[in-house]
Formats: sequence, structure tokens, C-alpha cells
Amino acid sequence: MSELVIETTGLRKEFRSRRGRRIVAVEDLDLAVVAGGVHGFLGPNGSGKTTTIRMLLGLARPTSGQIRLFGEPMPQRLPRVINRVGAVVEQPKFVPNFSGRKNLSLLASAVGLPAKRVDAALAQVGLTSREHQRFGAYSLGMKQRLAVAATLLKSPDLLILDEPTNGLDPAGIRDIRDMIRELGESGVTVLLSSHILAEVQQVCHSVSIIGSGRLLATGDVDKLTGTTAGSFRVDVSDLREAARILTRAGFGVRREEQSLTVQYVARGEDISRLLAERGLHVRELTPLRPDLEALFLRLTKDDALSMPVAGYTRGQDDPEDSDSQPEAPAEAGAR
Amino acid sequence: MRLVMVELNRFWSRRAVALLLLTAALLMAALAGFTIWESRPVSPSDRAAAERVLERELERPFYQRDVARCERNPDQLTGRGSTTEQCVAEITPPLRVFLAREPLSLAREQVDSGLVALMLVGAVMIIVGTTFAGADWATGSLSNQLLFEPRRNRVWWAKGAAAFLATLVASAVLLAAFWCALYVTAQIRDIPTDGAVLRDIGWTVGRGVLLAASGALGAFALTMLVRHTVGTLAVLFAYALGGEALTASLPIANAGQWSLTNNVLAWIRDGTRYFDDSIVCPGGQVVCRQEALLTLTDAATYLGVLLLVVVVFSTATFWRRDVP
Repeated sequence: MSELVIETTGLRKEFRSRRGRRIVAVEDLDLAVVAGGVHGFLGPNGSGKTTTIRMLLGLARPTSGQIRLFGEPMPQRLPRVINRVGAVVEQPKFVPNFSGRKNLSLLASAVGLPAKRVDAALAQVGLTSREHQRFGAYSLGMKQRLAVAATLLKSPDLLILDEPTNGLDPAGIRDIRDMIRELGESGVTVLLSSHILAEVQQVCHSVSIIGSGRLLATGDVDKLTGTTAGSFRVDVSDLREAARILTRAGFGVRREEQSLTVQYVARGEDISRLLAERGLHVRELTPLRPDLEALFLRLTKDDALSMPVAGYTRGQDDPEDSDSQPEAPAEAGAR
Repeated sequence: MRLVMVELNRFWSRRAVALLLLTAALLMAALAGFTIWESRPVSPSDRAAAERVLERELERPFYQRDVARCERNPDQLTGRGSTTEQCVAEITPPLRVFLAREPLSLAREQVDSGLVALMLVGAVMIIVGTTFAGADWATGSLSNQLLFEPRRNRVWWAKGAAAFLATLVASAVLLAAFWCALYVTAQIRDIPTDGAVLRDIGWTVGRGVLLAASGALGAFALTMLVRHTVGTLAVLFAYALGGEALTASLPIANAGQWSLTNNVLAWIRDGTRYFDDSIVCPGGQVVCRQEALLTLTDAATYLGVLLLVVVVFSTATFWRRDVP
């Protein structure tokens, strides 16, 4: 079995709102990320992604449950492994009046890294020409690049990226995605938190989907999207008759303009055999492979994030440190 | 040590810190300049004008009446065994009373502009300590720093040490510059300065520097607790004003010993006396000096405990609470 780089068991995080109500942000989360490759961390806003990441990095303490990074229990052994971990949590957070270089130099010197590492990190994200500009004067994309550069200072074995392409222009997005892909292929384990599903599908080898603080699905992207396969597009000479036959055989059938969508199909040949026995010749039989978006929407459709849940409405009763907890935790009872 | 050096680098690079220290330097320069200007030697015309005023005073009837009383009975005004000359000298106002200003005296400035300088430097260093920590919380860069050094106690102490050491140096430089300006001026004006006065000034400045740096450390610790620059300043302001009002209104004996102002003054002045209405005048006297003494040790204990409480709460909370 591959080495687990990230492992959480029964992870739970509760906050107290300013009115004293208990808010559960993460509940009973078992997360496992094996070494190497890019692992997507998907979830709607407020599902507990950032809270989970903050707990992994020791910025927030779990209410209960265990965390292991590289097999070491967190947060007790975090100092032992922190040099192997690079992370961007939420928006890039640097001192606005310092230059990009100054910000990175301070971080590098805190752990005794040489100045050439700063040079290399700045070059890697294409900020060398703007390194002396104030961070506050950077565009959002440049800020994001600097945050990524900070993660690269330590040459990490584990990279945790929370919405790393946020605010980047198309070229910047492509560069960062290529970089993430390359890092994943080079043996670095990347945990990519994103709500851009296409990005996750393009870049990630495996994915964990959470909703309302709970793990909803996890596994290889291919296998996960495969588990919900079973739909075929069927084109035959007589669509009405074919629909009647397939419905009576127990399939889910939806009539489209030029074809039928047939659901709950274990094997494609079942359709062609059934229709052929009734004298209908199949012109097209195409498996409809649901993408990650379909899976995501299906898994998280009950995640009532936009709705006020009992005892908690976003913006009215934010949890403690609400400015730092953008992922509004949903009410435990709502799950 | 590496972390402390990094934090010192961060401290000196902060624009707000630089602006505050520049402001303090300008205030010190203005105070020294004002003191030097207000104690400048009197010109011959100033002296002549003062002599004319004195002559007019000596011609006034009430003065002449007193001179006559001195001639009749010198004991009456200046005590038993006085001569007429002594009596007249006693009632005659000196010329300096009519001069617009007095010459520079380092001993006098120690409790005058010197005290103002100490208070100004102390106040600026408190704001510096607050803004040093507050900027980390306001920008959110603290979480970034913890991703590189997750041992929170180390981070806290490195930042605290940087705030203390940097403000110690800055206060020492500012106060030393202020007193050097006054000392050099006194030398240029040929005003003799007692070695004991200089030693006393040295000790006062030393205690003032320590107070300013400790104030900066305390303000830093409080900001790490409150996590907000303005919030911290509000707490400090409320404590300084509310605390004074509370100690003044509390129906407890010797409440003045708990006053922040009294303790700060006692620390700077090596002890101070303050009014205490709970002191009963001896032997049925109606009027007596109702003053209690607050020693340097008392003040050191009070201020030290205050600092310790804030530091302990701050470190414990920083270690435990989530960081945004």
C-alpha cells in the first residue's frame, strides 16, 4: 500500500458563534491522500475545505479526531514535518508595504533558507521582474503567484493549495496548472482545493468530495466518474417503439430530439440485444460518461448552503473569527 | 536567535514603525529646541528692562513701608537675631524674578522637560509595540509565518524580543540625543553641571528607557491577545483613564498606590509621594501632610506584575487559539 501523506480520522471542528451557538464546520472526516500525484479537494463554499486545510497546517485546532502528516501526529509533530509542507491558504497573505522579495526573504530566513532559493522561487512563478514592487501594488494574479512562490521556497514534498488559480488570467491559470501537474508527476503530493471542477478533472489523479463537513466520496477521478456511468445515448429507426421496449425492460428512458437517453444500464450490449430481438436496428449506442461536475452536483445537491439553516444564517451570526473562517459551517442537524 | 533577527528585520522595515520613530525624533527635537530657546541667556536690553521694572517695584509704597519696618524691627519679618540688611535683602525681590526666563538648569529640566520627553517616548513606543503586532494580524501574514515556523511560543517570543530590543535601542537613542542637546548647550553657555545631577539624569533615563521598552512589550503582548491595533489602544486608554477614575472613587484606604500614573512617576523619579486622605493627622491636628510614599520597589512590583499578567495571558492564548 502506498504511503499516506495526509490522513485524518474522525476529524471534527466546532466553532462557537458570537451568540454562543455551536457550529460544526467539519464532522467525522476521514481523509486519506497517498504520496505522489495531485489530489483534488472538492466541496461547495462552506463545506469545510479551508477549515480542514487549516487544521492540517496547525492553524486551527481540531475539536476531536486525529491528523497525521507523513505519518506524524498533528499538531504535536508539526515542527518536524513543516519543512516538507508548502501551503497557500485562502488569499495570499503578505505585508502590503514590503516588496515581493522582502516578503519571501523574511519567510526564507525564518527557516534558514539561502537567498538563492528566493531567486529560484520568484523565477519559477515569473515574478523576477516585479520582485522589488510593493506587494500591495501587485495585481491579484501576481499576489497569487507570490503565494505559490512562498510554497516553493521549501522544496516541499506536500503542497497544499487552496484555490491557487483564483484571480489569475488565462495564461497564469495555464502556467499554474502546468506547474501543479509537473509537481505531481515529479513525486510531490499536491492537495488542490478548488471549486473549479474542470480544473480538478484536468489536473487531479484522485479526488475527495466533501459537503457540510463530511466526506461524500473519495478515490481516483476516473473510477469515481465511472461509478455513476450507466447511461447511454441510443439512436434507432423507431424511437417511440424503442422507448416502450426499454421502459418495459426496466431501464430509465428519456426521449431526446434525435435519440434516447437510457439509464441504469449495466452493459451496452443489453440494449442492442433487446432492440435487435424486436427488429429494431441500433444506429448509435454511445456511453454517456458523467463528468466530475455531474458527480459533484449529485453528491452535494443536499448541501443547503445557500439556504439559512436552523440557528445559522451567513452574515448574521458568523462563527468566532468569522473573518478567518470563510467557509460558513452548516448546522450539524441539517445533515 | 535567527527568528529574533528576522523579527528585528521585519520591525525596522515596517513603514508605520519608521514613521512613528521619526515622529518621536521630531517631537524630541522640538522639545529640546523649545527648552534651549526658552532658557537662552538674557541680552543686555532684557537685563536693562528688568532693572527698570525692579526700580519701579522698589519705589512702591508697600515696599518702602516694609523697608521702614525692617529698620525699626528687623526680627519681626525675618526672625530673631536678623540685621536690618538681612531683613531688607529678604523682602527685596531678586532681579531674576523680572527677567523673562531663567538660565538652563539640567537639574530643573530633569523634572520638567525631561519628564515630558520620557512620557512622549514611552507613549510612542507603546504605539510602536501595538502596531508591530497589529500589522501581522491585519494583513493575515502571521498565518503565513506559522507555515514556516509552527512553534507558536517561539514565534511569540521572537516577536516580543524584537519589539523589546528595538524599542529599547530607539528610546535610548532618542532620550540620549535629547539630554546630549541640553548638556552641550549648558557647556556652551558655561553653565556648571554637577556630576551628581548627571548621574541622576543617567539613572532616570535608564529607568525611562526600560519603562518605554517594557511598555512596548506589554502593548505588543496585549495586541497579540486582542488581535487589533485600535482595539488594543482603546483598552490601554480605558485602563489609563478608567483605572485612574476607579482608584480615585474606590472607598478603600490608600487607593492611590494602585494608580498607574503614581506608579509610573514613582518608577521614573525613584519614588514619589501622593495624596492619601486616609492618613489621619496626629494629635488631633486638623491640617497635616496627608502624603504617602510609593517607592521604586513598589512601582517596579506593580508594573512588573502588570506586564507579567499580560504576557502570560497573551502567550497562553496565542498558543491555544486558532490563527486566521
